[in-house]
Amino acid sequence: MSIGVPVSTILMITGFGLALTGLWGMLTHRNIMRIIICFVLMGTGFNIVMVAGGYVTGATAPIIDRALGAAEAGARAIDPVPSALVVTAIVIGFSVTAVMLAFAIRLYAAKKTLSIDAFTESKW
Amino acid sequence: MVAAAFHPLGIFLFGLGGGFALPLLYRLGKGWLAGGFFLALGGIALASGAGLLRLLAGEPAIEVLTAGAMPPVSINLRLGLWEAFFAVSVNVTALLGAWRLWDRLRGSYGALLLYLILVMGIDGMIMTRDLFNLFVFLEIVSIATYGLLGLSQAPAALAAAFKYIMATVVASSLFLVGSVLLYHVAGTLNIDELIAGAGALSRPMGVAALLMLLAGLLVELKPFPANGWGLDVYETAPGGIAAMVSVGVSAGVFFALFKLAPLFGAQLGIIAFSGAATFLFSNLIGLSQTRTQRLLGYSSIGQMGLLTLALGALAQIDAADAAPLVIGGLFVNHLLAKAGLFWLAETLGMEKTDSRAGLRNHPLALALLGLLIVAIAGLPPFPGFWAKWELVMRLTAAGAHHWTMVILLGSLLEAAYMFRWFGLTLRRNTSARAGHVSNPPAINASQLAPPLAAGLLLLAAGGMAASMAGVATWLFVPLVAGAALLAIDGVLPGRVKAVAMLLVILAAGSWLAWPITGIAALFASLLLAGGLVIAAASLYRADARPGFYPLMTTLLLAIMTLLRARDSLSFFFSWELVTLASYFLIARSSRASRYLLSFLLFSLAAAYFLMAGFAAVAANAGSAELAALRLPGGGMEVAFILLVAGFLIKAGVLGAHVWLPGSYAEAEDDTSAMLSGVVSKVAIYGLLLVTYLAIRTELKLEAAHVMAWIGLLTIVGGALMALRQQDFKRLLAFSSMSQLGYIIIAIALMSRLGWVTALYLVANHLMVKGILFLGVAGIIARTGARRFASTGGLARMMPLTFLMMCIAVVSMSGLPPLMGFGGKWLLLVAMMEQGWSLLAVASLFGAFLGFLYMIRLLQGLFAGPRAEGQEQAREASVFLLAPQALLAAGIIVLSLFPKLLFEPVSAAIDPQFAAGLVWEGMSLEKIYAAWNPTPALLAALGASALLFAVFWIIWRRKARTGGLARFYAYYRMVIGRSLPPVAILFWDGVAAVATAAAKLARRPYTGNGQTYVAYVIYYFLAVYIAGAGLGGLTP
Repeated sequence: MSIGVPVSTILMITGFGLALTGLWGMLTHRNIMRIIICFVLMGTGFNIVMVAGGYVTGATAPIIDRALGAAEAGARAIDPVPSALVVTAIVIGFSVTAVMLAFAIRLYAAKKTLSIDAFTESKW
Repeated sequence: MVAAAFHPLGIFLFGLGGGFALPLLYRLGKGWLAGGFFLALGGIALASGAGLLRLLAGEPAIEVLTAGAMPPVSINLRLGLWEAFFAVSVNVTALLGAWRLWDRLRGSYGALLLYLILVMGIDGMIMTRDLFNLFVFLEIVSIATYGLLGLSQAPAALAAAFKYIMATVVASSLFLVGSVLLYHVAGTLNIDELIAGAGALSRPMGVAALLMLLAGLLVELKPFPANGWGLDVYETAPGGIAAMVSVGVSAGVFFALFKLAPLFGAQLGIIAFSGAATFLFSNLIGLSQTRTQRLLGYSSIGQMGLLTLALGALAQIDAADAAPLVIGGLFVNHLLAKAGLFWLAETLGMEKTDSRAGLRNHPLALALLGLLIVAIAGLPPFPGFWAKWELVMRLTAAGAHHWTMVILLGSLLEAAYMFRWFGLTLRRNTSARAGHVSNPPAINASQLAPPLAAGLLLLAAGGMAASMAGVATWLFVPLVAGAALLAIDGVLPGRVKAVAMLLVILAAGSWLAWPITGIAALFASLLLAGGLVIAAASLYRADARPGFYPLMTTLLLAIMTLLRARDSLSFFFSWELVTLASYFLIARSSRASRYLLSFLLFSLAAAYFLMAGFAAVAANAGSAELAALRLPGGGMEVAFILLVAGFLIKAGVLGAHVWLPGSYAEAEDDTSAMLSGVVSKVAIYGLLLVTYLAIRTELKLEAAHVMAWIGLLTIVGGALMALRQQDFKRLLAFSSMSQLGYIIIAIALMSRLGWVTALYLVANHLMVKGILFLGVAGIIARTGARRFASTGGLARMMPLTFLMMCIAVVSMSGLPPLMGFGGKWLLLVAMMEQGWSLLAVASLFGAFLGFLYMIRLLQGLFAGPRAEGQEQAREASVFLLAPQALLAAGIIVLSLFPKLLFEPVSAAIDPQFAAGLVWEGMSLEKIYAAWNPTPALLAALGASALLFAVFWIIWRRKARTGGLARFYAYYRMVIGRSLPPVAILFWDGVAAVATAAAKLARRPYTGNGQTYVAYVIYYFLAVYIAGAGLGGLTP
């Protein structure tokens, strides 16, 4: 089945949509847990965008075997580098999320609230 | 094995290996843990240091390729000179920081691990040549930072850390997406290949990718106004960790920007503008900050802004060859000074800028604080000074005057709040009363070691920067001599140190002065002799006076190097040394604390005018030699006005005089004599230098006429204010200001006769003010009084002081037969020759006012009834009288044999300049003989008597009775009513406006993390629109 639009375009739109949703959410929600979820959304959105950036219409997975010789890999395989980068980015995003959650727990322990508005001690 | 350890890859081996080993060592015991940690951190530092040594020995950049493949397939790391310099600087600072943080780190292997990873990550950011790898190292650094920030238990610190995480995650997301988009466009992540193919990046998508990358990096550098999250962390994190964020993490991010800069050829304007706005606004907002760590945060962000500005602006004007001195110098200056200040502030328990008043009791801590603040303000001899000079020279030469203005204004603002902080620590300890800190922590000497090491490294770096700037080594004689005296400062008794000081000044001063020629040589012999005589008066005090003798040595020798300087950089360096030495000498007196800041700020403002002026001269004449001032040519008006403005501010002319009376009056008594007698002449010498310049500008005499009127207003204004004083030392301070007005007029005459007169007046003023201040020092020492109300009738008890002061007053007031008469008379002749008759008459009125306040001085001190409790007052110490006698002898000799001064002066002034103006080939002697002084003298005396009679009659008609004291009291009131303190009100207004602007500019900092994220996004949009235009927003 084909709808005439390359899958990379769909992915791009989805990814940017997710990222913008995340951005919008982190600016509008007051609850720190929701803000963290929005950060994850944004990260996921960007990851999808990056993977889509390496897509080549009609090409196959970049695994060199009998079906895909080394000579034709450049033309027939999708670019594996963005995928490799995204794997790294996912790992980093995971650890950043973990750190944020750890901070959320300690912030809640300090003030018994998760509203971002409660944490404005230092300013100016 | 050993060779491998010292390979740059060792940085990562030690970092990762140490990271994995620490949890195991923790099981073995605390000693193992500490050993392992310092082994790893030291290994990182050694590996980078060994690399730097190899590179300095001339080896090519060290390339590290992963998996044996060539880039772009492999990820490559490079250790070139730049990388090694940044890495070593960061690693050494990290070692010192670990020492400082040890109490906090040693409890937890997690903290040690994070610290190690942080340092390794920063080194990785510096060394990597792969864009995505750069992102990975950025994240390693970020996560380690988050972890370290989480070590704090305080809710405010946790909240600040969370804001920091939110903002930096958005920034690094921008960086990541930008990198991947760039890969999409260019097909490579290798930075070298990207730079080689930078032309292909001008496609819309390439531009978008570059702008995302740039916005990510700029945000990580905490640009104004999207930086509230960074400030909150600086304020709340433990000092040692804030220091690492401020200098270490920022260094990594800045280096990333630095190495990617060739990609941003089209975005240099954005980079420079971002840095300029950040530098200016952070330093403005710093003015209204009272919490120390946040203050340092503003300074830190400002310094990164300055580096960013330098990076962008130097690339814009194509001056990459200046980068090692400018960027290297500014970077290492900020790194060491800021880290040292964070450590010191934490060690001393300075939560607020005023929470450690009374630091005078801790000389080492105080000296360190002073040293680091001098460094951060970009003053000599530290690397920031040389870097800033070079930067301003380059920018001005390229016509980028807007950046020069931003740099100088921002630097002044930064100096204002940093030195205000220093001044607060000098005040008497009132903190307990104010309730800030009940018991400041005792200072642990070993905790002072890291900031001390930072200070010493700064000095070494300053020396290196100086050699890069290519100045002569004799320029450092004042500092070396000062350091030598500092070494014996703690051990020898006061008078022995005074003798040592005199010997050092005599020897080094003569050696420095030997090669000087021309007018400078005259100044040198006058100021060296006068300086020695006045400095000898310090023998009258037997106490240890910590710091006094080294500072006095530096001060006097710096004046000699200033006179010897033949290029503007050496001149400016010495000028700043004179300023700093005077500042710290004044600071020794606790009564002067209130006036210190205005002294420093006016001095620095003057210095920045000079810097801009010298830069304009160099840009115009193509030479930094002072001799360029004398080359024929046009278009120097701006340079002339800038230079004259600088020298006039430093001379304390009316309007810019508010710094003068307080600092002269409240400095220690012999310091006041030095400031007024000797140091004030430095500005006069500068004025003489630039008048060479004025002659060849279009402004010529118009400008000179303005200058003469400024001089006249200073004479009259100073005299009127002196008349109002009830404190006789303050009276002398205003008198000093007033008398400099005559010299300014003499210089403004722009004629040979005028300049000869100026020199004559300089000599007269030096000796007169030397005697008067030293005489007053004796009176204060014997009576403890400072006000006329509590003195009187001292003539019989202190006859010698009375005699000396009479000689000085006669000479100063221009009465015959002493040299003041000759000077005033010469001045009148010169003014009449120029056709400035109105000025001549007005200056006579000024002289009359001077006469009045000098009578007031003598009458108030020596005539009338004795004050109570002073019946036992003795004659002043012989150590004060002897210098006065020498100065008095100088007055008499020069009065009897004026040729002794005239001939060398006349010979020194190049006849080329003045011949065409007024002087007609007559020798001075002939002029002197052709004009019969008697009628002039009689007229002057008659006019004075007449004026006095008029004033007396006015007073009598108001039905006043009583003696001379009542007469003065009446006119004090009249002057007070008719002469509001306009200048003080004006400058108070300027300060109020600056503070109000600071309060306004910090309004965006709401403290809410969400708002800060919004600012980051707005910042990105602003960068994007600036780089791609509004059209860039639509695909």
